[in-house]
Amino acid sequence: MTDQQKGFWNLLANIPREVLYGILLIVFIVPLVYPLGLPVPISSEVRRWYQTIQDLPPGSTIMIDFGYSGGGEPELGPMAVAVYHEIFKRGDLKAVAMSTSIEGPLLWEKAMAEVRPEQYGAEYGVDYIHIGYIAGTETAMAAVGKDLRATTSTDYKGTSLDQYPIMDGLVGATSFDLLICYTTGGDQSEGWVRQWFTPYGVHYLCSVLAMMVPTMLPYQNAGQIVALTSGAQAGQMESLVRVPARGIKSADVITLTHILCIIYVIIANIGYLGARFSGGK
Amino acid sequence: MDFASIVGIWTAALFTVWIYSIAFRDNLFFKFAEYTFVGAAAGHSLVYAVDNIRRYGYNPFISGAFFYIIVFALGVLLYTRYHPNLFWVSRYPLSIMVGIGIGLSMRAVITTEFIAQIQSTAAVQVLGVADPITALSNLLFIILVVTVVYYFLFTFPKAHEGGLGVIPTIARYGMMAAFSFSFANTVLSRYNMIFGRLNFLYTEWLILPYAYIALVVVLVILIYAMIPPERRPWP
Repeated sequence: MTDQQKGFWNLLANIPREVLYGILLIVFIVPLVYPLGLPVPISSEVRRWYQTIQDLPPGSTIMIDFGYSGGGEPELGPMAVAVYHEIFKRGDLKAVAMSTSIEGPLLWEKAMAEVRPEQYGAEYGVDYIHIGYIAGTETAMAAVGKDLRATTSTDYKGTSLDQYPIMDGLVGATSFDLLICYTTGGDQSEGWVRQWFTPYGVHYLCSVLAMMVPTMLPYQNAGQIVALTSGAQAGQMESLVRVPARGIKSADVITLTHILCIIYVIIANIGYLGARFSGGK
Repeated sequence: MDFASIVGIWTAALFTVWIYSIAFRDNLFFKFAEYTFVGAAAGHSLVYAVDNIRRYGYNPFISGAFFYIIVFALGVLLYTRYHPNLFWVSRYPLSIMVGIGIGLSMRAVITTEFIAQIQSTAAVQVLGVADPITALSNLLFIILVVTVVYYFLFTFPKAHEGGLGVIPTIARYGMMAAFSFSFANTVLSRYNMIFGRLNFLYTEWLILPYAYIALVVVLVILIYAMIPPERRPWP
């Protein structure tokens, strides 16, 4: 094989990253501007998550941990918003949020601005509340589980919890019928299993970054998590609750970019094999 | 839209473009955005740390929980690590923190991480499973569990030689498949994050007046900043 041919295979295996990122950027932008409306098949995990909320008896109280950081918002934010839509749609559930991440309260406010609870007639302090960022991660979970009111006496705005009817009768983990956690950290997602599921048996739904799914799957397989989803499945949840938003929009982009990613892998392998069979390294 | 929101969107948009410019080449604007982000994150954490001291320490203390003085003292003692002669004192509060953390984790870790996981693994069935795909998947699962446990448990050379060598080979393939699953999920996460920022630029920033013009200007300046200094016509 000639040097020119070897050079071609090497070039194929070592395309400059600027070119790869440039093409990737175009593939991101095109479906963003012109949505393709690709179908969003609903996985069994998302269906189970949805059904768990549906099966809650009227008057149930849910603890929601906004344990994700700003970097994880594009992935986990849409999921949190879609689930809040469903909670408020039902109208007979109470949602108490807390944060094990410093940025949690800000991201919760962002989610609430998207959900607009008032459209469902939900009222802050009556149907939902945020009791603030509680430091300590696993220590915080254990403390809130044991005695919520002794751990924090105010909501995220600094107002006394005594002023809010939703807090009446809420003592600790045993007062909650369901636990939901959105997180970008393994400490949070695993910590809730150790501090709320194992000692108190609280049903636990968990949504994590896609990259954390392999680590968390054993907990789901062992029945410690009722349903585990990645934030990338937000589009599926939006389909179920019939509130299309960012999640569905991202489905087109994610599909196309992954196809491109596979094409990149194939091209690189062709280049590698071509160079190898032509006597190169 | 109020003025503060507009300033917030413009700032976020410019920083997004500058941060992602590293994908193409290092430049001054990326560095500026990176250092600003680190500074802002540190400042944000500091404000929350002070607020935590106020909420969980100072407020209970002035309400009569005077034993909190011990907690404050332990917190102050952490800073002795910066003193060349007294740094050893910081080990006491640190050991208390670590001890509490381990104690809390350990109360459930045996059940959560060991017993429940072993039970779940042992309960995997191959025979009597109606769905052939599930049966095959379960069989593969059992083979990989056994081979991977063998791989890490029997590390002496003879356990990896001859006929037995096939066991760690299967384990290695299994682990590589698991790592690639993790990597693929990481790519998915990163793409979601990029989409989130691009969606923000498209739906929140570019709808503002002059944003398109600003985008072009920012990109031109960025491309210029990516040119090595010795090859630039101007500084």
